[in-house]
Amino acid sequence: MECRELFARLSEYMDGELSQELCERIRQHLANCLPCVNFAHTLKTTSELCRRLPSRPIPPDVAAELRAFLSSQRQAS
Amino acid sequence: MPDEHALIAASQAGDAAALDELVRAHQGRVYGFAMRMCRNVEDAKDILQETFLGMLRSIREFRQDSRFTTWLYRIAANACLKKRRRGVHDPHPEQKLSLDTLMPHPDAGGRRPEIPDWSSDAERALLNGELSAQMEAAIDKLPRDYKIVLLLRDVEGFTADETADMLKLSVSAVKSRLHRARVFLRNELAGYFEDTGAKKPEKF
Repeated sequence: MECRELFARLSEYMDGELSQELCERIRQHLANCLPCVNFAHTLKTTSELCRRLPSRPIPPDVAAELRAFLSSQRQAS
Repeated sequence: MPDEHALIAASQAGDAAALDELVRAHQGRVYGFAMRMCRNVEDAKDILQETFLGMLRSIREFRQDSRFTTWLYRIAANACLKKRRRGVHDPHPEQKLSLDTLMPHPDAGGRRPEIPDWSSDAERALLNGELSAQMEAAIDKLPRDYKIVLLLRDVEGFTADETADMLKLSVSAVKSRLHRARVFLRNELAGYFEDTGAKKPEKF
């Protein structure tokens, strides 16, 4: 497998969406291509960082406005 | 928080307190999602209101065979996409990310580009609270059709099937957009870490 083909399939590989056969071919490429290993690793890191982004709490005034809005909508209907 | 199934059933039966509880349980996440999509509080408030008004109005139609968050986020996601199309000048409305542009290319001398592995630097930076601003800025650079897929899949944690269903896309379209979005982000972060010094690179 060429670097270019691996590159296109990296997310699917990371997400476990490829066949055993394709995974094996990718593993074989990675065993001999350190740049692809580094690319794959940093891609996986990027994806994991997204999952761990701190969530911002809803500001109290925004929550209050929402409550008031929904309440007015319920009264109207 | 009481069992969500019970809350939903009560809401469907018209229990106002249960409805309030449902809103409270999900408003934070929806707000965070809306802020990342819209980038300003006023638009995020609009999304919030549209999402939960939609929830209020159609909760009786929700069948508990799918996840409630998927159902709710479908409303939120479509509200975000509709908001974009309504009048606001978008200089790159249909911008596509091309894999060819995103992949590493040989330099002017034909040498393979270097690919450092800055993963442990990133881990450290995240733990020190130094990274989220960079990540948010990078995510914000994504064209909207890619940003929404990245947010739903990698930030909010929905599956490819759920995301496809929410956005009325094929699963392969979701996977393709996700991959391009991730590579784009990776390249942005690489720029940040390589400027600030990183591990010894390997030539691509």
